[in-house]
Amino acid sequence: MKIPKDKVRFNVGGRIFETSSTTLANSGRNSFFGALFNENWTLKQPNNDSSSNCEFFIDRSPDCFSVLLDLLRTGDLSIPPNIPERQLYREASFYGLLDHVRSAKWAQFDGNRLRHSRSVKGQAPGDGTAIRAGPDGGCCVAHGSVVHVFDWTMEEHPPLNLDYQRVNDVGWVDSESIIVSTCEKLGRGDGGMGLFSKSTGELRFKFQVCHENQVKSFAAGALSTSSDYKIFSSCKGRSNEYGIGVWDQVTGKQIDFFYESPGWSLGDADKLQWLNGSNCLMVATSFPRTDNCYISMLDFRDKRMVWSWSDFGAPITVDEKRVRDAIAMEDNNAICVVNEYEDLGFMDLRMNGGSVRWSSRSRMMKGKPSEESCCPRLALHEGQLFSSMDDCISVFCGPDWVLTSGLRRSYGGSICDFSIGGDRLFALHSEENVFDVWETPPPPIS
Amino acid sequence: MSNQKKRNFQIDAFKHRVVVDPKYADKTWKILEHAIHEIYNHNASGLSFEELYRNAYNMVLHKFGEKLYNGLVATMTSHLKEISKSTEAAQGDSFLEELNRKWNDHNKALQMIRDILMYMDRTYIPSVHKTPVHELGLNLWRDTIIHSSKIQARLQNTLLELVQRERTGEVIDRGLMRNIVKMLMDLGSSVYQEDFEKPFLEVSAEFYSCESQKFIECCDCGDYLKKAEKRLNEEIERVTHYLDSKSEVKITNVVEKEMIANHMLRLVHMENSGLVNMLLDDKFEDMGRMYNLFRRVPDGLSTIREVMTSHLRETGKQLVSDPERLKDPVEFVQCLLDEKDKYDSIISNAFNNDKAFQNALNSSFEYFINLNARSPEFISLFVDDKLRKGLKGVSEEDVEIILDKVMMLFRYLQEKDVFEKYYKQHLAKRLLSGKTVSDDAERSLIVKLKTECGYQFTSKLEGMFTDMKTSQDTMQGFYASHLELGDGPTLVVQVLTTGSWPTQPGVTCNLPAEMSALCEKFRSYYLGTHTGRRLSWQTNMGTADIKATFGKGQKHELNVSTYQMCVLMLFNNDDRLGYKEIEQATEIPTADLKRCLQSMACVKGKNVLRKEPMSKDIGEEDAFFVNDKFTSKFYKVKIGTVVAQKESEPEKQETRQRVEEDRKPQIEAAIVRIMKSRRVLDHNNIIAEVTKQLQSRFLANPTEIKKRIESLIERDFLERDSVDRKLYRYLA
Repeated sequence: MKIPKDKVRFNVGGRIFETSSTTLANSGRNSFFGALFNENWTLKQPNNDSSSNCEFFIDRSPDCFSVLLDLLRTGDLSIPPNIPERQLYREASFYGLLDHVRSAKWAQFDGNRLRHSRSVKGQAPGDGTAIRAGPDGGCCVAHGSVVHVFDWTMEEHPPLNLDYQRVNDVGWVDSESIIVSTCEKLGRGDGGMGLFSKSTGELRFKFQVCHENQVKSFAAGALSTSSDYKIFSSCKGRSNEYGIGVWDQVTGKQIDFFYESPGWSLGDADKLQWLNGSNCLMVATSFPRTDNCYISMLDFRDKRMVWSWSDFGAPITVDEKRVRDAIAMEDNNAICVVNEYEDLGFMDLRMNGGSVRWSSRSRMMKGKPSEESCCPRLALHEGQLFSSMDDCISVFCGPDWVLTSGLRRSYGGSICDFSIGGDRLFALHSEENVFDVWETPPPPIS
Repeated sequence: MSNQKKRNFQIDAFKHRVVVDPKYADKTWKILEHAIHEIYNHNASGLSFEELYRNAYNMVLHKFGEKLYNGLVATMTSHLKEISKSTEAAQGDSFLEELNRKWNDHNKALQMIRDILMYMDRTYIPSVHKTPVHELGLNLWRDTIIHSSKIQARLQNTLLELVQRERTGEVIDRGLMRNIVKMLMDLGSSVYQEDFEKPFLEVSAEFYSCESQKFIECCDCGDYLKKAEKRLNEEIERVTHYLDSKSEVKITNVVEKEMIANHMLRLVHMENSGLVNMLLDDKFEDMGRMYNLFRRVPDGLSTIREVMTSHLRETGKQLVSDPERLKDPVEFVQCLLDEKDKYDSIISNAFNNDKAFQNALNSSFEYFINLNARSPEFISLFVDDKLRKGLKGVSEEDVEIILDKVMMLFRYLQEKDVFEKYYKQHLAKRLLSGKTVSDDAERSLIVKLKTECGYQFTSKLEGMFTDMKTSQDTMQGFYASHLELGDGPTLVVQVLTTGSWPTQPGVTCNLPAEMSALCEKFRSYYLGTHTGRRLSWQTNMGTADIKATFGKGQKHELNVSTYQMCVLMLFNNDDRLGYKEIEQATEIPTADLKRCLQSMACVKGKNVLRKEPMSKDIGEEDAFFVNDKFTSKFYKVKIGTVVAQKESEPEKQETRQRVEEDRKPQIEAAIVRIMKSRRVLDHNNIIAEVTKQLQSRFLANPTEIKKRIESLIERDFLERDSVDRKLYRYLA
């Protein structure tokens, strides 16, 4: 047997490693090893010095190198107890293998295979408002007037604030930028909406609302972004600038405003959702000035409300089913809503003026909601529907939305918000200032 | 304690902030800077990648990312400035080569620098939203080299000059061109567009504007088109060789506009070589080229179509109104068919079977065929001619082809009911005289008419065929029940249903005694088997075969019409008969009698009678004899009747009148159908709907429709609205 032609010899911090260029090719072009090799994965700088026995010196920790080499060989990440995770991540960052480590840590998201991975406790006083998962596994949590930012290792970044005004909603524009919407400060033009850099925490733009060519101060509510680089927010201005504002993500300039019509609530909306297929924005108002709920679909191209529904004037039933959250499901041409008893209801988007079709289903938990319970929330991910109630998140699948899983941790009280992104689910609890991270474990070996 | 001492007293923080030696950063940067210099000087083999990567990593880790980045910008800029200078110095043709070589060097260097600084590229740059290393390298190249005052214009001019030289037939280094253009594209589509594409298009427009002017002065249309096509293909080829594929549309647009769109009308109408001449001379290749080139420009195809249509209408109009042509209906229709074939082949060979062209062709034919009111009659005559004799020995497929062509002309007719009238007459003659060549062909045409116009259109025609069939059976039955009739004359009766056939009101004549006895027998047989029917004789439509012996004993069988038979039978008893005597004996209508005498006495070769005096026309005082000297090389002699094949003027008027008469109930029926469903409708809408409903049969005349409405109002089918006089109401 011959020695393989693609054998490579490394001297890492004094320890010799031998591997193959094929193994190293798994690291991809955009890594230390990618730079070291040419297009055909042979070493770029052949070391002709025969005394060094063709070895390549790297001045790094050999322990971590061995773990990362194993990762490149098998695709599996197993960290020995003597290596702190932070150290491993630092080394992975040096070699440009952080993405490899991250994708080996947890698998592609599946609501029915989620395992609780960790709970993160914060120091901020008071209740959390919102939690949003970032695209690369990090998250941000709005607490009072401050937004705490965590990367995927759950290391905390500098917190964000917009003139220390109360935060209403947060959102990720991309893996580096976060938008924050806040209440306004009367008379000073503080508050409103800002775009922040995740790593440095600096404010990059402050968004403005112009009304009749005058800049107005405003309070921003729910947020949404679209794939064509727009940001939407529900706005409450000083002089009737109630409605939905639209800004450009790249320039930060206001490009549109949808004024609400009398008797219909848009500026108070607590949920916005951009729908790619129909080019519409869903606006849902569940806790408006009046006690009614309004859901509408806005088409900004011709400034038209293409679909709308409200429970205004509907007879109050015995069990008083009130819509508390809504989510549009484009693939099903439907809007799903939930009431305070966690009953799911559905509306057909193809016809206007329909009513809610409530589905009776087996609930994880029956009975009266407790005093401190939070409002139920909905989320949709890859054809799976999630709804939170008290301290449990239910997962529904299939065309009839069958209950398939329940996620529950008793610690931290009821869940006031949750979010799915970066193949993780984050659940923010109302007490103890704690949030849970749920992940899909890596698949079993064969 | 003194103040001074107080000032010196300090409480140190428990832990010092770790400060990295500021010299450390400078030192590290020096190493990296040196490496970048070495890379640009092609000395990279002496560098240690690991060391450089680690140093860059450490600088970022210790918060010197900005220093590293700014250093990179400064070092790279200074190198590019040097490159710029050496490129500027390049003389003449070596300029592009030098630029290309430097560009390749820069790309290699940039790749190495990016490898060394990969950690900064990945972590520091996104967090501060700066330009990544590779893009930075391209931007700096663009700003310091391509956009430097001494290079920008020179590069542009060099490139444009090369293109110009290639256009005039020189061979240029396309590989070098491709590399330089690729460089501009790599620097961003806006660089390519601003620094090359835009001026390139401008220069091209000017070039082609001049050239097309030159060509159009000295070339004929066909040659010009050939040249334009060549230029267009050259430009497309140029794009594939060394330009961005997105430029193809733009440059072809320029050529199309300058060479085609600007000269379109002049080309089409060019004297002696324009489109009309191409059409006349069947220049498929030139027309195909014109079509392919003109389709590229707006209004190009419609221009061709308009010229073709107006030419076709003009020639068609001449054709249908040429009095020479009107003399022979068969020839007339054959001309139409030939014209259609010609244009069909033009459209399929040169115009890509374009639907719009086919429509234009159809509408032109429809236009001029209907200019001549006799077209329906002529088409029917053409069919008659073909079915009588024209199809002998022709294969079944060819028959189908001819019939299909006839149907195509039929489709163009607006007065389809007139055609039906004539067709019925001609068909009746064919059937009764047994002249039809092929039953299959007859039926095939009827099927075609049926699919085209629906079953009402052909139900009567089919009835005629049924009558023929039933008559055969009836005759068999008649002779089976009258066995005693074996000898003597044979009678063949065709019983025609009234209404299906174009019968003329009962003109009868006196049949010879032996025949009338036989007829009576048949009448009683027929009425005996069918109750409630009336039988009347159409002697004007029959034929007879009679045996005759002439003076020198020569025997012949004469095939004649019933009238002629009646006349000839008279000569069994007399040798000489005057016109008056014949008229009295037979009671044949004057016009018919004259015609049948004419055909027996005045036609050479068929003159079984002799007339005194000898003249072409029949006079009241003429006398007739059996022509003993009659000879013929055939045993069977067919004596035709002198019938004007075309209708004479009064007959034409009569047919026209009958057609108009037949249209009345159809129009009324349409009005009633429409009003029954609409209840109330205004005048204009009724006219429109009736016209639409009747379109497939004829073009209804609005005044006639109005008359029919009046008539229906008189008969209480409709009433006028009492308020709005324009409204009509349906009265159930």
